[in-house]
Amino acid sequence: MTDTPLVQMRGITKRFGGVTALSDVDLEARAGEVLAIVGDNGAGKSTLIKVLTGVYQPTAGEMFLDGSKVSFSSHADAIELGIDAVYQTLALADHLTPAANMFLGNELTKSILGFPILDNKKMKSETERVLMERLGVQLKSLDAPTESLSGGQRQAVAIARAVYHEGLRVLVMDEPTAALGPQETARTLKLIKALKAQGLAVILISHSLDDVFEVSDRVHVQRRGKRVGVVKTADSTTQEVLGLIVGAEEVPA
Amino acid sequence: MNTQVNQKPLTERLEPYIAIIGPMVMILAILVFMGLVEPVRYFRTTNINLILLDAALYMPMAMAMTFVITQRGIDLSIGSIAALSGIMMAFLIKQYGFSVYIAVPIAIMLGAVMGLINGLIITRFKVPDLIGTLAMDLVYRGFALVLAKGLVLARFPDFLTDIGRGQIPGFVPIPVLIGIATMIGGYVLLTRSYFGRYTIAIGSNPEAAELTGISVNRHKVFAYVLMGAAAALAGVMLTGKLNAIQATSAPYFNLHVIAAVVVGGTSLFGGRASMIGSFAGVLLLSMMINALVTLRIEFFWQSVASGAVIVSSVALYTWMQKKDRDGAGGIMAALSSPDGQKMVRFSALLIGLLIVLLAIGGLTAGDAKPSG
Repeated sequence: MTDTPLVQMRGITKRFGGVTALSDVDLEARAGEVLAIVGDNGAGKSTLIKVLTGVYQPTAGEMFLDGSKVSFSSHADAIELGIDAVYQTLALADHLTPAANMFLGNELTKSILGFPILDNKKMKSETERVLMERLGVQLKSLDAPTESLSGGQRQAVAIARAVYHEGLRVLVMDEPTAALGPQETARTLKLIKALKAQGLAVILISHSLDDVFEVSDRVHVQRRGKRVGVVKTADSTTQEVLGLIVGAEEVPA
Repeated sequence: MNTQVNQKPLTERLEPYIAIIGPMVMILAILVFMGLVEPVRYFRTTNINLILLDAALYMPMAMAMTFVITQRGIDLSIGSIAALSGIMMAFLIKQYGFSVYIAVPIAIMLGAVMGLINGLIITRFKVPDLIGTLAMDLVYRGFALVLAKGLVLARFPDFLTDIGRGQIPGFVPIPVLIGIATMIGGYVLLTRSYFGRYTIAIGSNPEAAELTGISVNRHKVFAYVLMGAAAALAGVMLTGKLNAIQATSAPYFNLHVIAAVVVGGTSLFGGRASMIGSFAGVLLLSMMINALVTLRIEFFWQSVASGAVIVSSVALYTWMQKKDRDGAGGIMAALSSPDGQKMVRFSALLIGLLIVLLAIGGLTAGDAKPSG
């Protein structure tokens, strides 16, 4: 873990009409660490990561990736440079197989008489490989539709889709454990740790402080569109973070 | 391995094959029934040819409709597209002396353009597909009536009648080959192409499709264009089959095709597609209608039978896809629940009122005054 941040956001402000969702927010994430973003509803967590992933364009402020300035005009730009997100809804097409979902919008093809034909066999074997090698997950059947999988397995498929991109360096996860039971949650946290060990910068948005304290290295606290503090997880307590979230405590950033 | 498979309940193991089992069971039922009642007339070669000829007409449309319905869409304008492209082709041949070899592709392209109009109306103007295509159905039918003015255009070159009812000696009719070819093409398109993959993704989860960078609107338009071209092909085949075309041709295409696709297990709620099911659905409807004819049942009962088959098969799919049947306890339990009781009383009230009205009408009735 080096001290130069992989990703850096400086002075990010985002207004929607007269509403200021983010005002002058800084954020740093390093390779091989998990940065948790916590905060109450409407604190600007989602807006912040949407700016980071290119879904929204900031009203003011700058972003740096590896020290060089970047700006995204769309989500595709961000993916191109190695920043991707796994949404809470997972964005999976339930009727398709896991392999079809993993390559959705980015299918592997072979050419027959000059026509591109989907290479379903290759996509299936690649899915099996990525799930096993990167996430340590093995599905019982890769031919069943995705809707037949458990919550944690669906999550793994969604994450596999993001990490399949070789250039992926920053993975944003929006509330990955919100809809999962305790066992599935533990599995998902294990996935996050595996990704961190592979040198990715993982940005985790969560309401569950238990999960945050289990996996994160640092916690970034948002309140009313502002960053009110960043604490090292190892040196902090749930009480302190909770205090920052509700505004009972102030810590210099 | 074997024991593991057997642990799953029967319905779960059957689930991937539901689409094909439903129509297959009904086809089998028709075969057995007709085998017992009218084996000689039903299983004659000429009759089987008739069934196939009828089914062939619907195969291209059922193939395309599978894509449209899988994307959570519907197209209610295909009958009119078939009639209008058929009429325009007939005019090109009869009035303007176009070669039939160029007029047929023109007709199919015209259908594709009408499909394009449908697609653009739905995706660009955000008119719901049901209303949009229903309104365009009126427009296309109106144009056909304006053009043909009640004329029947008949007697076309051999090439066209070959497409519609040609027969390869000792083998199946040419339209059947065309129909099966379009179904096979549709199957490949559905499982092996970007278009097919995105069709399922869009029907399954439109937001996810959008998020992964799929152009949802463009692929929706593609489906309607395919539908328009397939409907026009059916119009060409119909013209050739009858060796005649008029503006009021093909009135029942819409529901017949949608019925065949839905009976085949393609879900109206999107995402679940079955090309083989659509093929079986087309065959089933044609076999059923032919069976009614063979049994000399009045023509008008066909519509009753088609409706009954559609309702029962859709209800069957819904029931089979319901995962949790614990505590449902069958029909009697449903009837005795408080809500079921209220429904029973409400139904009884309606039927009771109807009986009372009928009784009053019967008691006060005078002499019959036949209108004709």
